[in-house]
Amino acid sequence: MDIISQLQEQVDTIASHAFNTIGTLQRDAPPVRLSSNYPEPPPPPPANPAEDMAEQSKQMSVALVKAAKRFDALVTALPLSEGGEEAQLRRIAELQAENDAVGQELQKQLEAAEKALKQVVELFAQATDNCLNLKKPD
Amino acid sequence: MAAATYPPPPPYYRLYKDYLQDPKSAPEPPPPVEGTYLCYGGNYTTDDVIPSLEDQGVRQLYPKGPNVDFKKELRSLNRELQLHILELADVLVERPSQYARRVEDISLIFKNLHHLLNSLRPHQARATLIHILELQIQRRKQAVEDIKRRREEAQKLLKEAVGTLEGQ
Repeated sequence: MDIISQLQEQVDTIASHAFNTIGTLQRDAPPVRLSSNYPEPPPPPPANPAEDMAEQSKQMSVALVKAAKRFDALVTALPLSEGGEEAQLRRIAELQAENDAVGQELQKQLEAAEKALKQVVELFAQATDNCLNLKKPD
Repeated sequence: MAAATYPPPPPYYRLYKDYLQDPKSAPEPPPPVEGTYLCYGGNYTTDDVIPSLEDQGVRQLYPKGPNVDFKKELRSLNRELQLHILELADVLVERPSQYARRVEDISLIFKNLHHLLNSLRPHQARATLIHILELQIQRRKQAVEDIKRRREEAQKLLKEAVGTLEGQ
């Protein structure tokens, strides 16, 4: 796939990692203590969710940073030739002129080759006619 | 032009009655459209430009100007994005009710990123055209060389044949 589409897909990947991360953190976060007046929140269920959460959030942040680094790598790999639009248009005009010249030369060669082919076919026909007519060589 | 749901076919077919006998008796096809045209009730334009961000009401974060340094801007936007995501996480911890502003900033950065990438497409199109032209020139040159070579071979064969015949 061409590099610009890869870059666009990478941006979308970063976006999906970002909102997955934030959403997961928000959904799984343990309740927070509002004020010292209110009683302690009930203790969370067995500590597995806490470890899982730490593990998960680490994995998610690693994925996010990896996606961002890949984006940077893709940007570096962009074959962006300097000179901008005018330079490209000039090169296109040059190439078109060269293409026309080479095309005309090709046309000339083609015509010469076809003429030669016609001549050879004629000569061959004459030779075979003579061959057929002269039954015995003199 | 009828603007009904199922318009009938246009009545021009009658003008082409004698087309087989006299191709010039029928009208020429219409010239290509220029400017804006109406199609199925929608306005379309023949001039394809990418609408700038301001036209869509989105603030442009990277500097305007004739030649934008795409790589630099893409990289700095990426960094800004990462910082904003971290900020969002922080805001959710400390002041959860202020997430909206941060989320807006993040979506603004994404819109800018996508717009930058889209504005690279015309450049890509021109580069593809250059590549195709170069390939075509190379193929044509190759063909010229091939034809020259074959002609010379044919000449050589003919000379040999003449030599053989005369030697006989």
